[in-house]
Amino acid sequence: MLTPASNPAVDLAAALRVRLAGFTGFLRANGYAVGGADAVDVLETVARTGILDRQILRWNLKALLCGRGEEWRRFDGLFDAWFLPPNKKLFVASNVAPAGVQNSAGGAPHDATEAEPVAAAGHGAAGDSDADPVRHGASRTEALASRDFRDLTRAEHARDVEALMRRFARRLKHVRLRREARCEHGRRLDLQGTIRRSVAYGGTPLRLAWKDRRRVRPRLVLLLDVSRSMSLYSFFYLRLARALCGELADVHCFIFHTRITGVGEALRDPDPWRAQERLHVLAVGWGGGTRIGECLRDFNRGPGARLVHSRTGVIIVSDGYDTGEPEVLAEALARLRRRARRIVWLNPLLSQPGFSPESRGMRAAAPHIDLLAPGADLAGVARVLPQIIEALG
Amino acid sequence: MESMREILALQSRLKDAGYVAEPALAAALLLMLDLGRPLLLEGDAGVGKTEVAKALAAVRGARLIRLQCYEGLDVHAAMYEWNYQRQLLAIKLLEHDERPATVKEQDIFSERYLLKRPLLEAISCEAQPVLLIDEIDRADEAFEAYLLELLSDFQMSIPELGTVHAVTRPLVVITSNGTRELSDALRRRCLYQYIEYPDPAKELAIVEIKLPHAAGQLARQVVQFVQSVRRMDLQKRPGVAETLDWTAALLRMGISVIDDDGAERILETLSALIKTRDDRAGFTREVVARIAAAC
Repeated sequence: MLTPASNPAVDLAAALRVRLAGFTGFLRANGYAVGGADAVDVLETVARTGILDRQILRWNLKALLCGRGEEWRRFDGLFDAWFLPPNKKLFVASNVAPAGVQNSAGGAPHDATEAEPVAAAGHGAAGDSDADPVRHGASRTEALASRDFRDLTRAEHARDVEALMRRFARRLKHVRLRREARCEHGRRLDLQGTIRRSVAYGGTPLRLAWKDRRRVRPRLVLLLDVSRSMSLYSFFYLRLARALCGELADVHCFIFHTRITGVGEALRDPDPWRAQERLHVLAVGWGGGTRIGECLRDFNRGPGARLVHSRTGVIIVSDGYDTGEPEVLAEALARLRRRARRIVWLNPLLSQPGFSPESRGMRAAAPHIDLLAPGADLAGVARVLPQIIEALG
Repeated sequence: MESMREILALQSRLKDAGYVAEPALAAALLLMLDLGRPLLLEGDAGVGKTEVAKALAAVRGARLIRLQCYEGLDVHAAMYEWNYQRQLLAIKLLEHDERPATVKEQDIFSERYLLKRPLLEAISCEAQPVLLIDEIDRADEAFEAYLLELLSDFQMSIPELGTVHAVTRPLVVITSNGTRELSDALRRRCLYQYIEYPDPAKELAIVEIKLPHAAGQLARQVVQFVQSVRRMDLQKRPGVAETLDWTAALLRMGISVIDDDGAERILETLSALIKTRDDRAGFTREVVARIAAAC
């Protein structure tokens, strides 16, 4: 029998196998959608392909364990962090402090993708969700809340928002396409389907087939301005967005002031308090000013290219105070307009008496918006929603 | 046991079939053959996702069966449909036939009247085919669920005929442009590759393989030109297909070198590379000359 010392290759393979066993767990801790079955697959694959060639191991595990582009891009960093000796300290440290797993272990790849602030910011915050900074964030949230709904208690307001969103979602589910599809009870006879069914009865059309306009759920993209000038309203709109995300599957929410970032993941957090904290972490610390134009341009180049299609309604909530160049805003909106079905702009200031949308940003935006509406309170939003539904049908 | 030698061998066979693959992709293809799992390919439009399936079919000497997904794709278009016009005709013809009714019925619902759509075709092939499910993100979620079931059991039940079991398990390649989020169940069942825009060396190799006439200076310049165009802020970045189209267009125009003076003629061919009006507006003579000068 071989002693471990006499055969370093066997020794290394055994050590690697031990390391390998923890790798799926490590990926899971870093937000990968991997499960127990994947761990079995990993062992099976390694049994076939061997473990000693690091490059082959990397390629195989990458193909096996990644499921989306974002995971694909982060994989190499995580693989190195787990399997390469020099980085060993990094993951040992992160294992000791459970709250920091995502942050410290995922730190290296995030730094590498600094050019993609959307992805990086989203994940940084995910890690922070139950860490320490949250605790002193709580008092700030309280202050924000009390400023926002002076006349309503939190619970009442939440109920109203949710009821409104449920109504909206229900009506949105009934938006129909012009294109027809077969169904059991429809408006028009489907001749082709009827003939097909008649075969079973020897050519007599005993059972009729029908067709009707197909139901579709249009996609909604919310772009919320969370700059300082909007602070009175942004909390309310985030609550609205959260309720909407709960009701409908195809809703995508982004917040912006000097940068734009996706908050879908944070909004869908089942724990409302933690969701708020995650949003808070995402929203703070970007410095003053609102760069609507640049944010929309970044959105067009990044997530917008993938998300916005001909059945997408884009809802922008902003007061239109843009510190950037209005030309940039106009161009970005024009681009967005060409791809999207409708662009609705809710401006909370519109309902104030004597206000007219004369800011440079609003003027630049006006030609590219389908609907400009006030949205300072729940009633205002409720008035606009039917028009949005109509526009999307 | 899979080894680097095998991976490199597959890579070079793919190259012979006209596809320049990263070793990582070759490794994933080997793993796919090994585990019998589908391969999900994602990436921007025009990076050559569909070509992977074609090259794989060529390397394996297998038939390529393609299912192009679209919104509203249903069972009848993807799996099977009865040729009911012929069935009705047969019913009329069999009216005065003396055979027992059960025989007649079996005859009407036999494979003769079954129209095989790509998925049924793929699982009833004698020799293992390559099944390409293109742009799955365009199909509805309901179809994705159907597909999942098919991919786990490789059998299909046709109420009038019974269950069809796969003769051989097809090699399944699924592509997605990411216009819709795919279900986790599908992602977990598949091996995954994200295909990026090729780097200059890889793109050069592709151009040289596909268009041997352009080899040399023109190919190098074309690739450099396209790579710098990709770095610009465009609505639609040119993919590999566009690079090849444009190179062919240049060859057709008799242009063998990209330089400052030829900017005028390059402009004429640029519609092969730049596909939207907005993007096209950004390519003035000066811009083209500047990029060309850097090549």
